[in-house]
Amino acid sequence: MPEYNIIGKSVQRIDGPRKVSGEAQYAADLDIPGALCLKVLRSKVAHALLQGIDTREALKVPGVVGIFTHVDIPGINSYGIIVKDQPALTNRVRFKGDAIALVAAEDEASANKALRLIKVSLQDLSPIYDIREAMREDAPAIHETGNILSVYKVKKGDVESAFKQADVVIPGSYTTQRVEHCYIETEAGVAYMDNDMLVIKAGTQNPHYDRRDVARVLGLAMNKLRIIQTTTGGGFGGKLDISVQCFLGLAALKLGRPVKIAYDRQESFVATGKRHPFFIDYITAANREGKLLAVKVRIVGDTGAYASYGPATLLRAAVHATGPYEVPNVDIEAFCVYTNNPFSGAMRGFGTPQMAFACESQLDLVAQAVNISPLEIRRRNIFQKGSLTATQQKLDVSVGIGKTLEAAWEKALQVMPGLGDENK
Amino acid sequence: MAQFHLEMKVNGKPIALDIDPGLRLLDVLRDILHLTGTKEGCGEGECGACSVILDDELVDSCLILAPQAHGRGVITIEGLALNGELDPYQQAFLEVGAVQCGYCTPGMILAARVLLNHNPKPSKQDIAKAISGNLCRCTGYAKIVQGIEIAASLKETKAGVSRA
Repeated sequence: MPEYNIIGKSVQRIDGPRKVSGEAQYAADLDIPGALCLKVLRSKVAHALLQGIDTREALKVPGVVGIFTHVDIPGINSYGIIVKDQPALTNRVRFKGDAIALVAAEDEASANKALRLIKVSLQDLSPIYDIREAMREDAPAIHETGNILSVYKVKKGDVESAFKQADVVIPGSYTTQRVEHCYIETEAGVAYMDNDMLVIKAGTQNPHYDRRDVARVLGLAMNKLRIIQTTTGGGFGGKLDISVQCFLGLAALKLGRPVKIAYDRQESFVATGKRHPFFIDYITAANREGKLLAVKVRIVGDTGAYASYGPATLLRAAVHATGPYEVPNVDIEAFCVYTNNPFSGAMRGFGTPQMAFACESQLDLVAQAVNISPLEIRRRNIFQKGSLTATQQKLDVSVGIGKTLEAAWEKALQVMPGLGDENK
Repeated sequence: MAQFHLEMKVNGKPIALDIDPGLRLLDVLRDILHLTGTKEGCGEGECGACSVILDDELVDSCLILAPQAHGRGVITIEGLALNGELDPYQQAFLEVGAVQCGYCTPGMILAARVLLNHNPKPSKQDIAKAISGNLCRCTGYAKIVQGIEIAASLKETKAGVSRA
């Protein structure tokens, strides 16, 4: 083996020393003297039309410098990584927690007092929490484009014939839950004007995308806006979306003063993306040796009020629905659907963990039906060099999962000596 | 509101301040003393990101009113390195890769320090118990436990490590 200066060496992370000494500055650690405190007024209902906002009393609170609503957005009031469907400050509430107004004040207590004095009049719309209800043709549309945001299909071979020839056909239904990323650092940031340049420093996973969306919302040229990612205290996909960036930019631009915002844990839970809950109907067909013949899978992902990374998550769900197994005939359809639930986006695994739960559970049921061990059914179907995936990709270079499977079983026996043999 | 005259030692240095008595120890450390190595993660004692050492005990500084620290000694993460040289806990965390996003790291290191002050040769279970009030979402804890084991052995071989 040749000697490399990085590969094969244990390399200390470059930001490590600053992190263990406490010197690393995360967004909430940035101190800008004279920065105004920003707070967001969020909806307490899930679906409504905004009829009016009265900020007069709130503006009288000493220390309050400005209050902004949807009418104050200088550019196009919508952002989003894939679909531009999320307003920075909304005039139509689509989930409990949608942002309605932004308060800028000299201190936190004044900002909080102002939040309580803003009068919002809403025309309630009936909320849709159930994804199957949202998919009905007569369901009220949460967005103009309708509630079914995207449909991805993966089809190969002849599933219906395979079902007829199969020795076992096992149906199963699976649901998975909404999950909060819960990075230990909540969303935070600062912004200020540097002559005519707006500078936003925030905890984010996506500074370049942030820049495009903030420029759009604020009607700024890209070269008049800088987004600087601060040391970020965990993201796991949840900091790919816009959170505080538009609020910071709007207030700093309008008021010409430095501003700061930090979500508390509750606001971080309420206002930011989640893992998509999935509803999966999965039918698996196999012969009596446990060799998979076909799967038919219908996946519905609840993307909540806004698209975020929903379409991409459901695309990944569709292409990973067969797991790391050879399946000659597939019929997979994945739907990404709007509801009035909190919005769902990217989270570790991006739709794949939900599918693994369904796919692996199905394999256990098939193993039971043909009377072989859970390990054996995986051996008989696992991807090898030369395998074709559901999307007809030929894995012709290196496939390590077979070895991994055996190694995992060996390790399991080691750490759980009472496990017995694989057929137990 | 009447001001409270707070005197305490922070990282060995005497501090005297007139403060709003409703402030949390966390607020005084971060907002007044600018010791931002102490983090706020939840504000309700769940996550341990705001851990500091109060006298000899690990506490959540978000659950301690600043006047409760009157006349006492506080150690924060900034108080560990001596003249820019990392202490064995910090060194061990770096070496094993126990630091990822780093947000829980100050609290974890202080939890380790309190543990090893009381129990120089902790078992894995002792370590798990000692950091059970400190949440980490990146590492899965394995590297943190390993870092604390290494810190214990470094501490044993390296003389002159200051006590909290």
